[in-house]
Amino acid sequence: MTDLVFLALSFFAVAGGVTMLLHNNPIYCALGLLITVLSIAGLFALLSATFMFMVQIIVYAGAIMTIILFILMFLNIKEEDLPKEPKKNILITMGVILMIPINLLVLEGVARLPDADMSIVEEGFGGIKELGMKLYTDWLLPFELISILLLVALIGAVVLAKRRVKKELNNG
Amino acid sequence: MASLTGYATVSMILFSLGAIGVVSRRNVFVIYMSIELMLNGINLFLVTFARYHFNMDGQIISIMVIAIAAAEAAIFLSVIILLFKTKKSLDTDIFTELKQEVE
Repeated sequence: MTDLVFLALSFFAVAGGVTMLLHNNPIYCALGLLITVLSIAGLFALLSATFMFMVQIIVYAGAIMTIILFILMFLNIKEEDLPKEPKKNILITMGVILMIPINLLVLEGVARLPDADMSIVEEGFGGIKELGMKLYTDWLLPFELISILLLVALIGAVVLAKRRVKKELNNG
Repeated sequence: MASLTGYATVSMILFSLGAIGVVSRRNVFVIYMSIELMLNGINLFLVTFARYHFNMDGQIISIMVIAIAAAEAAIFLSVIILLFKTKKSLDTDIFTELKQEVE
């Protein structure tokens, strides 16, 4: 059963990624990425990372992808605004040929690791309580640094938005 | 099927698709989404190894990766809006303001 769910989720994840890579229209690309993100959330649940499952759905599928789709529709991109990509297929083929050896190298290394039990853990792993205990004791400093980073990003976004308004006032 | 190698294969495929998208596409939005795809692949790798070693440090690192991706989304999308307002295009080849002119 787990294998079947894993196969379905990984198929959807890879299919969404390929859609994002091949489509010309950015809206379809964003929808493909949305499918990938949701399938990865399912894979997190299979790996008994329940809190990560929630964070992935809330932050990625809920916030980031919504912002991307909102801005795509807000900009009202027409067909002629899209860049012409005449050499896209050749470049993608070359990229695939280049990436296959790297993938094989990594997977060769991973395959030599001893096999371990990857079944779903019932309790005491990956839940919000255990993760929170770990986050606020062992990882306190990185956690605080991340909060400063988010603050800086917030200020940066506001500054970028404000500068445009000023420029328009000067021009007008 | 749902073994360490299976999960590693999926995450490496996603990472490679993202890397290929960054170098081969010219749409700024698709490049941004490819970066997100690479981050997702690496997150899957981290969570897989967290389960493999039965140690939650990998999950905490991937939470931090998600936080950084959220911050990156805010900055990147505001920059894209500014670029699109001034240039009316999404082609990366047009954005050459900082390029040094060779004489």
